[in-house]
Amino acid sequence: MHRNSSPLGFLPTRLLLAASSALWAACGTAPTAPAPVALPTTELTELAVNVVTADLSRPDPDAAFWRDVAPGLVSLIAQPVTAPRPEITTTSSIYVQAVHDASTVAFRLQWADTELSEAGHLGEFSDAVAMEFPMVGDKLPSVMMGAKDDPVHIFHWRAQYQRDAERGKPEIKDLYPNASVDMYPMDFKDAPSGGKDDKEAFNPGIAIGNPQSYSKTGVDEIIAEGFSTSSVEEGHGAAGRGVWKDGMWSVVITRPMVIDGGSTLAVGRPNSLSFAVWQGGKDEVASRKCIHMAWLPLKVL
Amino acid sequence: MPNVENWHLKRDVAYPYEGHRPARQWAIVFDLNKCIACQTCTLACKTTWTSGKGQEYMFWNNVETKPWGGFPLAWDLRILEKLGRQDWAANGEYLGKTLIEAAPPTERVLHFAPKDEDWMYPNIGEDDCGGGTLDSGAHLDSLPHDKWFFYLPRTCAHCTYPACLAACPRKAIYKRPEDGIVLIDQSRCKGYGECVRACPYKKSMYNPWTRTSEKCIGCYPAVEQGIQPQCVVNCIGKIRVMGFISPPAVARADNPVDFLVHEKQLALPYYPQLGLEPNIYYIPPIHADPQYLEQMFGPRVHEAVARYKELHKDPEAAGLLCLIGGTERIIHRFTVKAGIAVGYDEKDEEILRVPVTETPFERAAFDEKLGAVRNNNP
Ligand code: SF4
Ligand code: SF4
Ligand code: SF4
Repeated sequence: MHRNSSPLGFLPTRLLLAASSALWAACGTAPTAPAPVALPTTELTELAVNVVTADLSRPDPDAAFWRDVAPGLVSLIAQPVTAPRPEITTTSSIYVQAVHDASTVAFRLQWADTELSEAGHLGEFSDAVAMEFPMVGDKLPSVMMGAKDDPVHIFHWRAQYQRDAERGKPEIKDLYPNASVDMYPMDFKDAPSGGKDDKEAFNPGIAIGNPQSYSKTGVDEIIAEGFSTSSVEEGHGAAGRGVWKDGMWSVVITRPMVIDGGSTLAVGRPNSLSFAVWQGGKDEVASRKCIHMAWLPLKVL
Repeated sequence: MPNVENWHLKRDVAYPYEGHRPARQWAIVFDLNKCIACQTCTLACKTTWTSGKGQEYMFWNNVETKPWGGFPLAWDLRILEKLGRQDWAANGEYLGKTLIEAAPPTERVLHFAPKDEDWMYPNIGEDDCGGGTLDSGAHLDSLPHDKWFFYLPRTCAHCTYPACLAACPRKAIYKRPEDGIVLIDQSRCKGYGECVRACPYKKSMYNPWTRTSEKCIGCYPAVEQGIQPQCVVNCIGKIRVMGFISPPAVARADNPVDFLVHEKQLALPYYPQLGLEPNIYYIPPIHADPQYLEQMFGPRVHEAVARYKELHKDPEAAGLLCLIGGTERIIHRFTVKAGIAVGYDEKDEEILRVPVTETPFERAAFDEKLGAVRNNNP
């Protein structure tokens, strides 16, 4: 949809846009595009979280209040510590904004990515972003996924998960329209003894209840105590929504201020967070990512 | 990084984890002179294990024609090209680098990452000949001639030093200490596909429906009951035998796999130079290009070919070949005495007995009892 890669495709898209805005104008309900917020060029040293009187229950990257919050630049580099890792820094900065309404905190994260990648096919990976918080708060764990007995709480949004939530988890026929499959034998396990377990026997990830194998809502909550230890936890109501436009991702992740058994933010208390970005189109996944190398202080006002 | 002992290469190799050889090691030996590419093995595995959604394209067992075939596309050429020229010493020691030793600092394993189109042609190159070109019809009137191809059946090699395991950032892949079978824990896998990238043999495959990676499980539920894998017991050509291979120092000459690999040095690992100590072993085809065979099986291949040609003079080897394909059960020990080959199971109980030379039966052309002329039907 947003692929203007071919010069031939450009003109009709423009015409279509012109036509549709004319239509909106005729109806008298022309949508107001959010005014572009100037992107900063100097590094953020502390992220201020201001109170807003707005509905934060649904994450919305286009909400009007974002225009009143100055974004801060947070620099990223190719994860340098553990192999496999990217050879070059694909995402060098992420622009961060945050607001709260006393019970929910919303973060808007923006970064440049020339192509939209939602994964699906073999050998494809998804665009993604993650925010990481210390579990305890006073003593900061290693920014690299925490450490043993010093866990971190991660909120991981993936374009692929959003696709699941909005358009359904893709079937094989959605991914490969020309695929020809005679039948899945287990679909015929209708004998009295043939239940759900029989039918799922040939979907091992699903059969064993791996969260990875189920349709996702957008954001995974993960607890980690160092590299290789992350495990997806029961969520605490975090939500996410991203929009990719003009080579830029804009993703809002909302999380409760207070999370029992997780990371908790509080007004006036020192808080911290950090970030990671994956460009699926550059085959980034897992430790192949760009990260912020330090904890960024966070101040809830 | 620790050094581990790799007897295929006659030297220690670098590996991210310490070496712990399993109590015994799952292995299959294939006689490539006998494979007919009937793909019965492929279908036996397919119908047993991969009939689910997301597994449509998977062939944990596949059979490809060499030199032109490959599933996924040109998997062998692409990894060999990445590794570049490497050499063996005259004594059989490998002088080159393994995939782990050749990895750049940003990677754990030197690899190529297959894309989905690479998995779309499981039968590409089937029955295509190697060895020179022809302008018009051929007259192959002398042996050896330069036109050749052979069939290469492949499963996961349940490597002693698996690249898939080394590459998994979640430690979701493990090698069973009891039989060396390499498995992906389906509850830990997050579908990062690092194993799919890293396995040079391309035997770890991503399931786009469950979003986890899956691979040949060595038919462990059968193996645990003393039964050989599906792709072995269903082999039409009776070219395969599954058993347990010992490291050379403790090899037993009455263990079928040790006998073929160590005692007779007939069966060789494929692409051992990649450094994983793969545990599928091939009796090389005797009518293929020797240089090609050397690239695939290493410098010992020429002796193996020569020995195979003399095999008819070896009653013990002939006896073992008669046992292969004769039983579903895993043969732990065999004997050949007085023209009779006998196989024994783990408890050393006899499981099959066959004559090395079958007794010929002669029947009169006319059946007096039925008053009918016999034809060749049984
Ligand atoms: S053949 Fe590949 S998938 Fe199988 S154990 Fe070896 S590296 Fe792993
Ligand atoms: S050992 Fe079993 S799982 Fe592996 S290829 Fe053979 S039949 Fe398939
Ligand atoms: S079943 Fe046996 S003979 Fe047939 S293709 Fe497989 S390995 Fe070859």
